[in-house]
Amino acid sequence: MSSTTHPAALVGRRRWLPSGLLLRTVAVALFAAIALLPLSWMATMAFKPPSEWSPSSGFPSFLPKNPTWGNFRYIFTGESEDSIVSLSSTAVMPIISSLLTSTLGTLIALIAGTAAAYAVAREKAGSSVGLSLLQLRIFPPLAVMIPVMIMWSFLGMTDTWWGLSLIYGIVTLPFSFWLMKAYFDELPREIEEAAMVEGCTAFEAFRQITLPIVAPAVASTALFIFILNWSDYLIALLLTRKDWTTIPVYMNSLATAMGGQLYGAKSALGLIAAIPPVILGISIQRFLVRGLTFGALKQ
Amino acid sequence: MSEPTLSLADERLTLANRFLLPTQLLLVFIVAFPLLMQLYVSMTWWTPLDGESWIQAWRSWNWFDNFRYLAVDSDLWAAIWRTVLFVVIAVPIQFLLGLFLATMFVEGVRGRPVLYSIVLMPMMVVPAVAGYIFFLVFQQQGPLNALLATFWPEASNLNWLSDVDRAFVAVIIADVWQWTPLMFLLLYAGLMAVPEDQLRAARILGAGWWHRFRYIALPRMKTVMIIALALRTIECFKIFDMLYVMTGGGPGVATESLSLYLYKLTFQDLEWSYVAAIGLTVLVVLSAVAGLLINRAAKAANRDVVDAGARTPLAARPAEA
Repeated sequence: MSSTTHPAALVGRRRWLPSGLLLRTVAVALFAAIALLPLSWMATMAFKPPSEWSPSSGFPSFLPKNPTWGNFRYIFTGESEDSIVSLSSTAVMPIISSLLTSTLGTLIALIAGTAAAYAVAREKAGSSVGLSLLQLRIFPPLAVMIPVMIMWSFLGMTDTWWGLSLIYGIVTLPFSFWLMKAYFDELPREIEEAAMVEGCTAFEAFRQITLPIVAPAVASTALFIFILNWSDYLIALLLTRKDWTTIPVYMNSLATAMGGQLYGAKSALGLIAAIPPVILGISIQRFLVRGLTFGALKQ
Repeated sequence: MSEPTLSLADERLTLANRFLLPTQLLLVFIVAFPLLMQLYVSMTWWTPLDGESWIQAWRSWNWFDNFRYLAVDSDLWAAIWRTVLFVVIAVPIQFLLGLFLATMFVEGVRGRPVLYSIVLMPMMVVPAVAGYIFFLVFQQQGPLNALLATFWPEASNLNWLSDVDRAFVAVIIADVWQWTPLMFLLLYAGLMAVPEDQLRAARILGAGWWHRFRYIALPRMKTVMIIALALRTIECFKIFDMLYVMTGGGPGVATESLSLYLYKLTFQDLEWSYVAAIGLTVLVVLSAVAGLLINRAAKAANRDVVDAGARTPLAARPAEA
């Protein structure tokens, strides 16, 4: 009976509990339904043939009347049997771009951020680094993107996988720094000192003692940052053109010469774009509070 | 071998400085250099249309003309106002909804693990995709109108995204949908961290739900609440992805936030030097505000540490706000 009630629960009197529990569950279930419905609308749209999403068909039904993989075929091959004009470019490159740049960006942020976090946590060196990184996140991206666009163009990094990965790494660096710093702060210094007395160099102590201990934290941080990079829209919009555009930007620009809305195709892409972060997010949900507050709060 | 303790500390410091290097380099690359560049360009009339490299921007030097213009640019201030309005409406709504959800979960619900995961999902959806989802939902022939039409037939003619006011409401709804889970996540963590012994003691002493919430839980949740509100306010102010995909700033400029306006200036009007000037001003203002707030937060944190030492048991104290 009390298995679902947290000890800190504010409701007291036991004889109210059953109906209270029901009411609360219904209320939360309502929120859950509201959370799922828009998502499932797009998910089912991805499987509807064009006949079900053209303006002339009136109110669409929730489930597809004639479910089809046609939309997915369309975005991957550019061709469709349903008399839609072919696409000028398929979704294959954007998917590769998203995967590559998100992963590389995560690696950059992770390596630089973890190293810097270790330095600041242990030796209190360069303490202004943390604040500068925090400020990076406060500014609206467009307030700082003009010089970045100029620089990237100047250095020939526009519309390249390395240029995009680099900016992704920089922009998510604050997260890896603050998160790993919080973890390093919790580890006593003596751990490395013990090893170093035995003859290890400082780096060996870090690599063989400290790193294995924080490995799970690094993993969660990595997944979290990957989600952030994958979800980016503005940076890819500004710094890529046709070659290395990412899934979200490609999805929004999907159109054929004939105009028309391409709801089905875009929904299929939206589904592909949305699934990895949702799955990853749920798998690190215990880590989310920490991740989203830059390590300030834990759950 | 020289003195062990000395070389240990030195060795660690050397490693630390080496470890800091990549980040410091990146910071210089992305902060120092662009800042100077932005300062330079913002005092000229340069645009990429000039056909020259930005280095030649000095040819159209104009000192502070861009900055003077931004003070009187009605489009800019309209966009700022719209953004402020958006934030001031959307953030409290999602805060209260998140708080409500958090209290529900803390009291206990059936199927907690499943419901918890589902309720969190909206915030994990790529914001641009969420924008598209609500673009679909708010179509005139879309599911929302279909749902409303079941008890209100005129709803089938309701136009959301082409109506100036309704589009604004629509984007607020979309933002609330996507980010209430975040408020819930943080506030739930905060609520769970409230010490149970004091709540139990209060319950035994006969304090009702509202009293226990207001006088015990709420004060201990101040930090979490401030963090949650600050985080969401900052992010909401920056909003771009969802709006760009959902309405593109329209109809007209009805949903044009500050970021969207800057985007329009950058890619439609190509007024890069003006955007640079606006960007610099925003940077300065936000840095000042952030600095002030962090200062106050640090002072408040110190005060709390001092107060905590003086706490007496609950039963011996009259209830204080």
